[in-house]
Amino acid sequence: MGMPVMDRAEARQARFNALTEAYGADLYRYAMWICGNDALAKDLVQETCLRAWKALDKLNDDAAAKSWLITILRREHARTFERKVPKFTDVDTIEVPEDVELEPDDRVEIELLRRNILKLPPKYREPLLLQVVMGYSCEEIAEQLLISKSAVMTQLFRAREQLRERLQKDGVTGNVHALF
Amino acid sequence: MHYSEFKQKLGADPASQDPEFLRARNSSPEFVRAALESDRFEQALRRAARLPAPVDLLPQLKKISQANASRQGTWKYYAMAASLFLAIAAAGIGWRMRAVHFDSVEQYVAQHYFVDGPELLAQSEGRVADNVAQLLALFEAEISPDVRRMVGAIKICPTPDGNGVHFVLNTERGPITVIFMPRTPVTDGEMVAFDGMEAQLVALEHGSAAIIGKSGQKVSDFYTLVHDSITPSGASA
Repeated sequence: MGMPVMDRAEARQARFNALTEAYGADLYRYAMWICGNDALAKDLVQETCLRAWKALDKLNDDAAAKSWLITILRREHARTFERKVPKFTDVDTIEVPEDVELEPDDRVEIELLRRNILKLPPKYREPLLLQVVMGYSCEEIAEQLLISKSAVMTQLFRAREQLRERLQKDGVTGNVHALF
Repeated sequence: MHYSEFKQKLGADPASQDPEFLRARNSSPEFVRAALESDRFEQALRRAARLPAPVDLLPQLKKISQANASRQGTWKYYAMAASLFLAIAAAGIGWRMRAVHFDSVEQYVAQHYFVDGPELLAQSEGRVADNVAQLLALFEAEISPDVRRMVGAIKICPTPDGNGVHFVLNTERGPITVIFMPRTPVTDGEMVAFDGMEAQLVALEHGSAAIIGKSGQKVSDFYTLVHDSITPSGASA
């Protein structure tokens, strides 16, 4: 007896499930960082995946899936907040488990980094998160944000620079700050 | 590579695999120190950005494909239901039920409820949502305080014309679902039935709403409550 053959609907479902497994968590993280609210982030990811499911047959190359999903998510975010951008920047809504490996000072630094990432202007925050959360290269960020690579490089540099400056203001004085 | 150029690159693309950049990392003690400091910062940054995803996220996302697959059969049901509704209308029953069309508000209500309705009902049990005003304000709407306190769960949802708000009112007659559609016109008071449920469409001053409950829950009794409580932002000031 041969292997059971997946019908088209099953194959489609399996492909969709593979994509959600591969990128679902990162989409949530990215959504969480751009909207700052857990419920909205979940809704954004759900809507993104619903739209992805409906348009799955248009995705010819699964290697492009990450970029495709992020494009859908960013459009959905823009559509959701086309009238008003809510001020959900309360980092207390982000429940982060204690990282036992970290020293107390490192924990403080990471908490402050989280707060300060949310305070970054969107034009700096978005490329930084695409790089750090989604693993995008500078070229991919430029393509996603429709700006030049040099503009991306500048924004990434300034994003990190602002984070460091804010950490210094908050009293975190690791030697890393001497870099800038 | 000059030190200033190296620092720029380190601040913009610290994981760059550019051979010249990689060579520069070890080219002098000053460069090595800067690279090590950057590595430490990047490690902290990555830890900070690595938020935990909810444990139920993936199962919820997988439900999207399952729901859609099973919806194939539901459309057949809608077709049958539409015939039944027309027959009831012809028999002179007062409700103005319309056949469920694929692109109609009625069909949207049935479809959206099928996807999200039961889950939001489950989430609303014994709860009072704390972000009602905030979410409605996104659509330049507000809800009266007494009704706001009845909202157990709420979320942004797609509507036929952009996004809207889907929420559950915990009433004495059990949970009632309301979908606020800020840009969708409806026939005021129209009743829709689907899959053991009934819904009434409400034309509001600002957009419209659908009130959805189980057949027999008499959702039309909540018409005035919904009609009068959802108003444009600032209307009650």
